[in-house]
Amino acid sequence: MKHASTVFPFHRVIWLNCLPSPRNEAKAGRTELIPSIKLRHCCLLRNQRCVVAYLYDRLLRIRALRWEYGSVLPANIRFHMCAEELQWFNQYKKSLANFMRSVGGGDGLDITQDMKPPKSLYIEVRCLKDHGEFEIDDGTVILLKKNSQHFLPRWKCEQLIRQGVLEHVLS
Amino acid sequence: MDPSEAEFLAEKETITIIPNFSLDKVFLIGGDLGPFNPGLPVDVPVWFALNLKQRQKCRIVPPAWMDVEKLEEMRDLERREGAFTPVPSPFYMELSKLLLNYASDNIPKADEIRTLVKDIWDTRIAKLRLSADRFISQMEAHARLDNLTLMEINTIRSFLLDSLNCMYRLRSNLQPGSSKDRADY
Amino acid sequence: MDSQPYQPIRPGVGMEENFLSIDDILLSHERLPVRTECVFPRLGFLEKSSDSQDIAEGTKMELPLWLSKGLYERNRKVLSIELPKVYRDGWRTVFNADPNVVDLHKMGPYYYGLGSQMLHFENPENTEIGQTLLQTFIGRFRRTMDCSQNAYNEDTSVLLERLDSLEKALFSSGQSGLNGFQSWEKGRASQLTASTLVLNYRKRKITEVQS
Repeated sequence: MKHASTVFPFHRVIWLNCLPSPRNEAKAGRTELIPSIKLRHCCLLRNQRCVVAYLYDRLLRIRALRWEYGSVLPANIRFHMCAEELQWFNQYKKSLANFMRSVGGGDGLDITQDMKPPKSLYIEVRCLKDHGEFEIDDGTVILLKKNSQHFLPRWKCEQLIRQGVLEHVLS
Repeated sequence: MDPSEAEFLAEKETITIIPNFSLDKVFLIGGDLGPFNPGLPVDVPVWFALNLKQRQKCRIVPPAWMDVEKLEEMRDLERREGAFTPVPSPFYMELSKLLLNYASDNIPKADEIRTLVKDIWDTRIAKLRLSADRFISQMEAHARLDNLTLMEINTIRSFLLDSLNCMYRLRSNLQPGSSKDRADY
Repeated sequence: MDSQPYQPIRPGVGMEENFLSIDDILLSHERLPVRTECVFPRLGFLEKSSDSQDIAEGTKMELPLWLSKGLYERNRKVLSIELPKVYRDGWRTVFNADPNVVDLHKMGPYYYGLGSQMLHFENPENTEIGQTLLQTFIGRFRRTMDCSQNAYNEDTSVLLERLDSLEKALFSSGQSGLNGFQSWEKGRASQLTASTLVLNYRKRKITEVQS
């Protein structure tokens, strides 16, 4: 993104049609063109490497989003992803869900929870922004209003803390 | 590894408590606990002891090494010796912090102990850095980590591993023909 | 910390690049002074100073490392690559005398990376270059370690300013170990925190609004 302009300065070599395609030239026996053809080939491979590395880095970030945001991505992030990336994300989500269902007996195990060893079942949290109503295990509905403080089951809040909605308050 | 994970492992160590309630044996996956009788010492894992302590259900008996005299001896030995000396518990740092935070009223001279443990830690970490530097400057290929604890290794692990990787690659530059002739674009 | 879900691909150190590493792509973008040893027909437009159609033999120009590496051939003279100043004898003497006085960021910032890559090109001084790289790293290691392990809660930009990019990476892995321990000691290790990815996106959104 940031480096795109510095990474691709040689792309003109490819687009300028000054270089005929290698195959025809070799057939015609014009060996003096070989160095230029080789240079063109290097540029093609370089661009390929840049694109592949860029896309792969994006993929790594998208995979991390599943762990950080949860299975539903905010619209503004999805907006910046291409169709193939969205498809990949959905498949990754599915594989992960299948795996989590298969471990830990019949109920499955959410391995995206408890990234740090839990100290207690309930934790104290403060709301950083209005998040609306929120239902906890026993069916009570609480209102997550900005700057309000609550004592909630840890496993219910972990994701909201990672998303920056709640803040973990240490006693 | 996160330090909180090291602490989690330390919480599995056993410690003696004196409960002030009675309860039959509790059967848990990690082993049976109890039975508990008021005034009778019993061994439990640290996480359980701390939980009871926070609810004022017991008194914690500090481990034998958590004692000013013994720790002073240890500190002096650690400062004298060039190598790492054996520590009383593989989790001495984690346990000191946990017990001093949650049960300082059960530990005689808690403040002195806190300072002593910190002194020992600092001495050992300084030694660790010194030996890491020696390790690199003499281009050693392996080292013994005898008597080092998990937490100590943990603080320097990623740095040391990365450094060794760098050094390895820079050294392998010197062996001609070691890397394939391949163009990267 | 190593528990971060997003970890960029690490650069390959030494002679082999890591194909997918963005850092290595940037490294291979460093320019090298070269001299052409044959004619490159119809590529004259790459050389701004002349308006001939071809790049003539014997032209001196700067090419990025990736292109030099791609065109270079051991058996056939296509390019001859000049050693950048920092790897030449004069600078090597400086490095060997006291590696700590050199500002590797200004000289590099890919001193080790580029130096290792230079070994691809046949040069009679290759052994000495390799030696100097290794000795420089070892000589500067103590300082890299000390500042990464002692600087807690400090502005580290002054410390970082003279480091090579490889040393910077080492510095930050040392810092992550130190910070992890310090926050544990303060009792904050068990605190759940917002993900750095989320925070970065938010920061970006704010700057987008401002611009």
